[in-house]
Amino acid sequence: MLNNSVESEKKMAEVETALNSDGPIIQAKDVSVFYGEKQALFDVNLDFEKNQVTSLIGPSGCGKSTFLRCINRMNDLVDIARVKGEIIIANQDIYAKDVDVVALRAHVGMVFQKPNPFPKSIYDNVAYGPRIHKTVSTKDEMDYVVERSLKRAGLWDEVSDRLDQPGNGLSGGQQQRLCIARAIAIEPQVVLMDEPCSALDPIATAVVEELIDELRERFTIIIVTHSMQQAARVSQKTAFFHLGNLVEHGDTDQIFTNPQDDRTENYITGRIG
Amino acid sequence: MTNPFSTEAAGLQGRHNAETIFKLSGLTAIVCAIGFLVFMVGSIAWTGSGALRESHVQLSIDLGPEKVDPSNVEAASYQTIVRDALKERFPEVTNRRDRRKLYGLLSPDAALELEQYVLDNPSVVGGVADIWLLASDDLDIYLKGDVKTELDESRRKFSDLEIGLADSLVQEGQTRRQFNTRFFTNGDSREPELAGILSSLIGSFFSLLVCFVISFPMGVCAAIYLEEFAKKNRVSEFIEVNINNLAAVPSIVFGLLGLAIFLNFFGLPRSSPLVGGMVLALMTLPTIIIASRAALRAVPPSIREAALGIGASKIQTTFHHVAPLALPGMLTGAIVGMARALGETAPLLMIGMVAFIADVPKGILDSATALPVQIFLWADAPQRAFEEKTSAAIIVLLLFLVLMNLLAVLLRRKFERRF
Repeated sequence: MLNNSVESEKKMAEVETALNSDGPIIQAKDVSVFYGEKQALFDVNLDFEKNQVTSLIGPSGCGKSTFLRCINRMNDLVDIARVKGEIIIANQDIYAKDVDVVALRAHVGMVFQKPNPFPKSIYDNVAYGPRIHKTVSTKDEMDYVVERSLKRAGLWDEVSDRLDQPGNGLSGGQQQRLCIARAIAIEPQVVLMDEPCSALDPIATAVVEELIDELRERFTIIIVTHSMQQAARVSQKTAFFHLGNLVEHGDTDQIFTNPQDDRTENYITGRIG
Repeated sequence: MTNPFSTEAAGLQGRHNAETIFKLSGLTAIVCAIGFLVFMVGSIAWTGSGALRESHVQLSIDLGPEKVDPSNVEAASYQTIVRDALKERFPEVTNRRDRRKLYGLLSPDAALELEQYVLDNPSVVGGVADIWLLASDDLDIYLKGDVKTELDESRRKFSDLEIGLADSLVQEGQTRRQFNTRFFTNGDSREPELAGILSSLIGSFFSLLVCFVISFPMGVCAAIYLEEFAKKNRVSEFIEVNINNLAAVPSIVFGLLGLAIFLNFFGLPRSSPLVGGMVLALMTLPTIIIASRAALRAVPPSIREAALGIGASKIQTTFHHVAPLALPGMLTGAIVGMARALGETAPLLMIGMVAFIADVPKGILDSATALPVQIFLWADAPQRAFEEKTSAAIIVLLLFLVLMNLLAVLLRRKFERRF
């Protein structure tokens, strides 16, 4: 048992160094996803750079959310889902047998489409991650982590005087920023966002987009979005999915101004999708 | 010009008629249902209210030194004292058979009551005192006006002689009626005027306690496992179908199962609330599992995703987030299940909780009976006076059922969350 923990600590250290080195932080190799008999994703190969925002765009049902959920293995929750291929984070295939999803998700956080704060206080929402991963030990440290996370999520000024109020009592945009604060409280390397603004009004969306840009300094962000304008605004890289295939990926400017594939062009000009 | 929107427009009349007929039939159904309910509860309450009053007879009782030794009060024969007092009050009754009827006007417990009274009030010893004593069930019924005096004497239990004696007592103002506390503080008895529901109430309480302690944790754990952890495959489907089927199994079957396993195989004490509670737990378990699963399913998946997304393990997700949110629903289901168990008679008959139990059980291993079984026993008893006791016990049972369901509703209101 002791041996094990020493080994796992060693491994963690390895992961940390690998994560901090340069080069692509995530590499997807021939990733295919099946829901039962139906194949939803076909041999996707895609690299993600560190400290960049990558947008996954495409029409509904094109597999972009499915792909995003492969990166922190949320697809494990779907009984009939089956993933083929490799996703390599920090030189480690996350679909290998010895990978614990709990440890993986501590490094790859996620923000969902609908704001889903826990029905607990704002403080407890943010503190939950550090608490279960035991990354902080004292109350003061926890206070600090909560404050830092809320500040990074741009929510501190609005809620600092009511941390003990329930998180569901906030407005939609505030709730989503609370969810972001919750995700970054455990200092993941990667933050996955699944249409984080689709349930928000334009003003709240603008705040969250601004926040995403700021978060890029510390985290690698992958965002699924339906709004091409949003992709153009927040991301440096864009990948276009269509019918389960990765059609094209590259710098956002290039995708939007000079797409190589007809399907991409048709999509961004509004002819399909 | 005709109005195109007029109610006489083609085809509209038929549709309106259909709607009116449907509304009317629905309304009739509801009125009928409410009528039946009011009639049922009303008639039970009417009959049962009688059991809440008891009759007393006043006698002047000679407690002189030749009857009660002041230095040894307990040694006196109070039975004789009471009978002497009756004989003195009605000197005209001389015949042996008539005397017996005379003595029958008072409850067999009257002597004991007198002794208690004398022990509590030692000052009455040595003189003649006017003391109120409990009337027998037959006199009580007559005083409540429930004896059909117009019937031929041979067709009623309360004879003309007794009617004469009773009327004389009433004329002299030597009868009174008061609230019957005995009904709530006594156990069962062969004498209707002494019978109470306390022993069966306590028996029911112990049984339900055992039932809850067993079925709630087990049901909740089973539901959590099936809903959150078990893979959805043939086996879990099979289990689910069977749980749903078990909820519909007649309760007497569970009684037979309890008889075979708990009593005959494990040799647990017969008639005890322990076994009763275990049998009721078997019966309640499917209900609790089904309700708990529904409560767990009502917790939005986004909460699970949120917890799993920041790296909570499955068990942390379940016990930190999902189960607490589902708990009110689970408790509601459990209370509804308990309410059903409280009203259950058949399985308890099978394991011997139908015995005549006069003593209040002191623990889950004592012999006991349950409230619905007590009702069954009283309904079966030959004495007229048990009729009103039966109804009164039913009222108590209904009251507890209403209270439990009310508690369930309140819990749901208080803790229900909207997502």
